[in-house]
Amino acid sequence: MKLKKEKLIEFYKMMQTIRLFEDRIVDLYARGAVPGLAHLYIGEEAVATGVCDCLREDDYITSTHRGHGHVIAKGAKLNPMMAELFGKKTGYCKGKGGSMHIADMDAGILGANGIAGGGLPIATGAGWSAKWRKTDQVTACFFGDASSNNGTFHESLNLASLHKLPVIFVCENNTYGISVSQAKHQPIVDIATRATGYDMPGVIVDGNDVIAVHEVASKAVKRARAGEGPTLVECKTYRWRGHHEGDPNQGERYRTKEEIKAWKEKCPIDKLRNKLIKDDAKLKNKLASIDKKINKEIDEAVDYANSCEFPSINEMYEDIYA
Amino acid sequence: MATEVVIPMLGVTVETGTIVEWLKQEGDEIQKGESIFAVEADKVSTEVESPATGILAKILLAENETVPVLTVVGVITEPGEEVPEMYLQGNIIGGSEEVDVKPDVAPAAVEKTSAPTPAPVSASQGPIRAMPAARKLATDQGLDLAFVQGTGPDGVIQLKDVENSVQQQGASGAKASSLARGLADKSGLSLEGVTGSGVRGRVMRSDVAQALEDASRPQLGKIIPMDNMRQVISRRMCESKFSAPHIYFFSDINMDPLLAYRRQIVPEFENTFGLRPSINDFLIKAVALTILENPLLNATLQDNQVVIQPEINVCLAVALPDGLITPAIANADREGLADVVRQRSDLVRRAKTGQLELAELQRGTFTISSLASFDVDYFTAIINPPQSGILSVGQTRDSLYLDNGDVKSRKVATFGLSVDHRIIDGVVAAGFLQDLKKKLQNPGFTFLHI
Amino acid sequence: MREITYYEALNEALRSCMQEDERVVLLGEDIGSYGGIFQVTKGLLAEFGTERVVDTPISEAGFVGASIGAALTGMRPVAEIMFIDFTTACMDMIINQMAKMRYMFGGKGKVPMVLRVNIGAGRGTAAQHSQSFHSLFMHIPGLVVVTPSTPYDAKGLLIEAIKDDNPVIFVEHKRLYMSKGDVPEESYRIPFGKADIKREGKDVTVVATHALVVEALAAAEELSKKGIEVEVVDPMTLTPLDKETILNSVKKTGRLLVADEDHKTCGVGAEISAIVAEECIEYLKSPILRNCSPDTPVPFSPPLEKCFMFGKERLTESINTLMTYQ
Repeated sequence: MKLKKEKLIEFYKMMQTIRLFEDRIVDLYARGAVPGLAHLYIGEEAVATGVCDCLREDDYITSTHRGHGHVIAKGAKLNPMMAELFGKKTGYCKGKGGSMHIADMDAGILGANGIAGGGLPIATGAGWSAKWRKTDQVTACFFGDASSNNGTFHESLNLASLHKLPVIFVCENNTYGISVSQAKHQPIVDIATRATGYDMPGVIVDGNDVIAVHEVASKAVKRARAGEGPTLVECKTYRWRGHHEGDPNQGERYRTKEEIKAWKEKCPIDKLRNKLIKDDAKLKNKLASIDKKINKEIDEAVDYANSCEFPSINEMYEDIYA
Repeated sequence: MATEVVIPMLGVTVETGTIVEWLKQEGDEIQKGESIFAVEADKVSTEVESPATGILAKILLAENETVPVLTVVGVITEPGEEVPEMYLQGNIIGGSEEVDVKPDVAPAAVEKTSAPTPAPVSASQGPIRAMPAARKLATDQGLDLAFVQGTGPDGVIQLKDVENSVQQQGASGAKASSLARGLADKSGLSLEGVTGSGVRGRVMRSDVAQALEDASRPQLGKIIPMDNMRQVISRRMCESKFSAPHIYFFSDINMDPLLAYRRQIVPEFENTFGLRPSINDFLIKAVALTILENPLLNATLQDNQVVIQPEINVCLAVALPDGLITPAIANADREGLADVVRQRSDLVRRAKTGQLELAELQRGTFTISSLASFDVDYFTAIINPPQSGILSVGQTRDSLYLDNGDVKSRKVATFGLSVDHRIIDGVVAAGFLQDLKKKLQNPGFTFLHI
Repeated sequence: MREITYYEALNEALRSCMQEDERVVLLGEDIGSYGGIFQVTKGLLAEFGTERVVDTPISEAGFVGASIGAALTGMRPVAEIMFIDFTTACMDMIINQMAKMRYMFGGKGKVPMVLRVNIGAGRGTAAQHSQSFHSLFMHIPGLVVVTPSTPYDAKGLLIEAIKDDNPVIFVEHKRLYMSKGDVPEESYRIPFGKADIKREGKDVTVVATHALVVEALAAAEELSKKGIEVEVVDPMTLTPLDKETILNSVKKTGRLLVADEDHKTCGVGAEISAIVAEECIEYLKSPILRNCSPDTPVPFSPPLEKCFMFGKERLTESINTLMTYQ
């Protein structure tokens, strides 16, 4: 399927939004404006963008601890996101969740999750829920290569396949689980092969090629919506920064600068930009102005977050029970 | 349990002692047998040993004060124990207000009647073990758990134990200090209805004293229960009136000479002795001198013997809010007037503050009862047993008389003499009264005996 | 009124809720054709079909997590864990996801699901199938913990649990499944956070859960003949806990015995004792006693298991001890 130029520009805009947002967090975190932990998505933008573009607003996603990219791609707004990261009461979670628990039920975002593998059963349940309610909603479940070893991965894929649930299991294989490389945490290289064990299709795709991701994801979504069951999509990708902000020298304890450099050369955004400009040189300016606009939006988000208040103490006791 | 430290018996004849030096300070640890203070009696100094091991928690008597033997001068407690309240009131009572207390009871300096349900504190040292509800009730009732016997499991103080203690205090849990209780018990007063002025409405001794005063104030329709003193007076007066056949004699005595005499000597007297003699002082002295010449008036009937007392100790009746007390001025015949005045004023003061000693009451041989400050001309008095005579004094009033046909006025008082006819006949009584009249009307000569 | 068993009462509750609301679905191991290990879901597969009554694989984390995801997205699942012991296999889902989503998502994560479990030793099922650690769930903020002791309570509380928008840990009791009691035929709800005074008395307060309620009532009956009047308080729900009823009872009697089958250390008894000591200690005439399971795994050998368990006799002994304090 040949994608229209407008669509590609959309992809660009989305990826850049994620990239520039995350870049800004690097700076804000370093200056102490973001308390707690930050796990940044820089380098993996194509996966979230490509997958979420296939989803409707009423479809669901479950995300991970490294979830800023997923939630932005699914429709989360920058202002409440920034406010949540700052811990302000106007954040998505009233300041009570933070980076790892950002959620927006209205946008179908069933939460980033602080537990590795925690989202898999929940996504399975969301898919099941659609089946029970007889809607054609689908659920995209993001998880990493390391979580594919967790019990929940196996239980979830088993259940989803058994009951033909409308779930797309998207494995972002960035070849590391914190500091342990894939070679050291599982005997296989292609996680997609595990799909056979659960009698579902397993597809491998270049996670840095947004167009390729989109194509694979579209097929999986179509399959799910048709009630044919789940798909395991393995996106080969890489995170440029350390596991978390504060991981020394972007993970130099467990990976080499050369490796990082090599992957940076495969930057998904550069790849798309180059393609667009190559096809139409005039787009250069347009893309630049898109960048500028995004930065402005981010500035506004920061200002917004700064201007908002922290929750009051008694709010600590609220929202525990219905 | 707390141990009292007393001035020990220091000899068969020794009646008082003085602490010359405390060898331990308040708060010091002390062993049984260790020297605790040095006492002087009859010019002999002795070191006294501690009766117990513990902590000298409270010293009650300072150095260089003379007190009767067996006076409680300190309290020793076990570690962690609190000093029982009765020692902390600071209100040390000497002697007794009752006159029929056995004379061989040494006047203790501290009231001992007041320990409520004297239950020994459970043998274990350290903090008192009581259940929370028991503690709360004790606190509310102002009850010291140290006095509550624990009968719960393991000897713990349970709620019921405190409830029982509260009930035993009388009143539906009136909370009162031990001294208050003691006074109330002694006076036969119920603590119910006594308003407490202490912490959390606790009834203090002064509250009971006030209540006693209020209670005895007669009012229409009021029923006043007879307190102990009243009952004693009642009993003794009946005893006297209905066993001793009283005969009464009256004489008007010209008071002008005595009044003038007094007026004359008072300024110098006061200057020299720092005392003001009252008319009663002259009466006491005059009566004593009259008794010297009429010794039967100083007698007591014992079985079939008329015992004439060796000393002339004249009692003066002192009115108290709730009754009457009659301390005796010792050796009134021999004492100089200044000494009589001194004795009289001291005894009267102490009578009013309840600090008389038993001996001071019991030694009396004759009584003077004066209502001179009232508008009463004369009255009959009941003899104070075991005495044999009593002199009543009416008010001093203006009286007209004839002096060689001229009508003049002079000050006159009617004196009454009641005597026990078993011992004293009319002639003796009349003679006494006549002699007394002569003495009082001739003060210049009479009081030459100074 | 007719008498039915505790498990039949639960069955009725499930049935009526499923009839009323198609969002109610059941997941669990062997709940379908087998009817559930204790027959609680008997007949439901036949009535509602395989879609709504799901026999799951042995994947506690998977199907409890799926229940959470379904609850977040409009369903009202009732998941069954065969024995409370197996909740360990899905503790992350219970403690980190189910209990916390509402709070973490700023009040927007609604998880209206019920997780049914059961406790109680006595069948020789040994250490990993006989535990009663419901206190663990009382300890976690965000979870509702329900502890029915009679068939009547079981039906009303389960209906309430299914209709409640909070995540509920519904703790049933193995030895009570066959117990009988009067139960209305119609649907009814028993509100959470309201303790039930199962017997009034002025001398001793016994706060008891599950099967110990029955034991406490039996002990109370006997002691009444000796002039000791025992008040039996059934909390009904451990979270929310009806503190007021418990405290008022202790203020009345001045004596407290807590009887619960969880271990003594850090168990339900520990919490209730602490609450009483904190809030009405001055009313206590006696120490607080706890009759709880000993701090050991459940032994297999019958005489040992018998010793591990306790009932009317031990309660009576404790009550008598409390009465030695007057």
